[in-house]
Amino acid sequence: MKLAADRLLGIVLIGLAAFVAVQAMQLEVPFSYDPVGPRAFPLGLAILLAALASVLIVKPGTNEAWPGRQLGVKLLLVLATLLVYALLFTKLGFIITSLLAVASLSRIFGAPWGKALLTGGLMAVVSYFLFAHALGISLPSGYWVEPLL
Amino acid sequence: MFDFLIHGFDVALSPLNLGLALLGALLGTLFGALPGIGPINGIAILMPLAYTLGLPAESALILLAAIYTGAEYGGRMSSILLNVPGDAGAVMTTLDGHPLAKKGLAGPALGLSAVSSFVGATIAIIGLTLFAPLLAEVAVMFGPAEFFALMVFAFASMSVMMGKDPVKTAIGAVLGILIGTVGVDSSTGVLRYTFGLPELYDGIDFVVMIIGLFAISEILLMLEHANRKDGNDGLPPLGRVFVSLKEVLACKWTMGRSGLIGFIIGILPGTGASVGGAVAYTTEKRLSDKDNSFGTGNMRGLAAPEAANNASAVGSFVPMLTLGIPGSGTTAVLLGALMLYNITPGPMMFSERPEVAGGLIASLYIGNIVLLALNLPLAGVFARVLTIPRWVLVPGIAILAFVGVFQLHSNLAAIYLMLIIGVFGYLLRKLGFSLAPVILGYVLGGLMEQNLRRALSISGGDLGILWQSGISLGLWIAALALLLLPWLLPKLWQAKTSKA
Repeated sequence: MKLAADRLLGIVLIGLAAFVAVQAMQLEVPFSYDPVGPRAFPLGLAILLAALASVLIVKPGTNEAWPGRQLGVKLLLVLATLLVYALLFTKLGFIITSLLAVASLSRIFGAPWGKALLTGGLMAVVSYFLFAHALGISLPSGYWVEPLL
Repeated sequence: MFDFLIHGFDVALSPLNLGLALLGALLGTLFGALPGIGPINGIAILMPLAYTLGLPAESALILLAAIYTGAEYGGRMSSILLNVPGDAGAVMTTLDGHPLAKKGLAGPALGLSAVSSFVGATIAIIGLTLFAPLLAEVAVMFGPAEFFALMVFAFASMSVMMGKDPVKTAIGAVLGILIGTVGVDSSTGVLRYTFGLPELYDGIDFVVMIIGLFAISEILLMLEHANRKDGNDGLPPLGRVFVSLKEVLACKWTMGRSGLIGFIIGILPGTGASVGGAVAYTTEKRLSDKDNSFGTGNMRGLAAPEAANNASAVGSFVPMLTLGIPGSGTTAVLLGALMLYNITPGPMMFSERPEVAGGLIASLYIGNIVLLALNLPLAGVFARVLTIPRWVLVPGIAILAFVGVFQLHSNLAAIYLMLIIGVFGYLLRKLGFSLAPVILGYVLGGLMEQNLRRALSISGGDLGILWQSGISLGLWIAALALLLLPWLLPKLWQAKTSKA
């Protein structure tokens, strides 16, 4: 029998419940007038979670279809784009990174190269002026502006 | 008794707040019309901007509430025109709305749904005005034990009513509550689940949480639909743009009944617009479908869910404003937004912060009229939004999410956390979870623990206090009954039919 995704999820959740419980037990509690303390609530939740997860293992429900290989690759590309966007956000500054991120996302979502780059350029510049000038949000201008080059 | 409302209109009619209600209505309709972006995503994406503007609490709430009700209006666009519900509340709208559009009656269908939404919302706003202060007076008597029991009831009601799978709904709520326990414990100062990371000492930030959970996971989910045909060339002609008075009057009782049903269902915690729309549709089908034409483009079949989903959206403000218990995922987000302003909604809000409670209710009256005025003539313009390709939409959401989180914290840790939560939300959705219970658990969990601990320190640790009073005992019994009902009903039903 193929292992249902819900069964696997149930096992993972029981693991999580155990982790939550162990972490809660290890909390060192200073003396206080609070008779419950910080442990009891997470402990109760861990027990409830374990019970619910057991139900899931006994009676798995339905899932949506998982992405195939082609979609999986795209999914990773989107995540990678977002991660790189975050990594370079303060280093290269808002305009450059947004241009790259928008163009890349546009491309992954099916735009041809030309349109993707155009969208990137327009969106980066327009949103910079909207956020930084009209709304007064301070956005990173990037180290490259400084004469490091 | 209605002092709060008069005061509220004073607040809501100030030029700033009036402008915000207008802006919110417009943005909300646009966001609701965008495929895949419902009220909750719309608010998640736009909320950081409300903070950036440095608005006072009541103005921020007016803006966000206008976005919420506006999105309920906008959700019908793609339901009717493309047979794709813009959000969960608009699922029933597709049943008769899309067949009407296929008959060439897309224009009148949009017009009728705008009028139905207006009527449903109006009924519910009047209900809110009359009912909320009364409930607040009762709720003043609630102590911590009663609030704890009330939250247990809210989670029980949510598990049964929301989503297809009660077990998964409950798991989602527990996960949400657990996420809420991260950070410093307010009464002892002990750090919980921070793993030595200073970024987590203050807990997982609300804005990071909702943007990750809703906006980022939505981007990932949209990828699956990217290959599918978008509505670019499939938009049906609108036909004549206005709905005739005769058609509206034919549905007047449908709208009235459905508005009332939607309002009552909206009050119950955890049951949002989707349940309201479904119950109203089935009721109306039973009552007025004489020639079996529901589902083939019956005007009443369109008016019923549209009136009901807007009414329940408004109805879910009742428990949020009076008890501090949100009636839906979206009001949970609004509740969290208020808590960022150090306002804990609850029974005292009507007396202590009348400008917030009254201002919000008054702005709902104004926003509702604005929405009708916007939506009737501009239906064609809003419909254009549906043709925005995803390769423009998705990067736009990404920029808003990054800027929104960055401007609040000015550090990258928050952005990484947002991405992690986004993947978590995506996985949950793929595993058949609905996200509303997670956000409800996250928002309510802290209050639930505080009330439990307060109650037990009053009683010196005796658990009996939790069900000592009549109110709390009643709530426990109601919660238990709700949980057992779906399991008992089929058995009772079987016993009855086997006897007959």
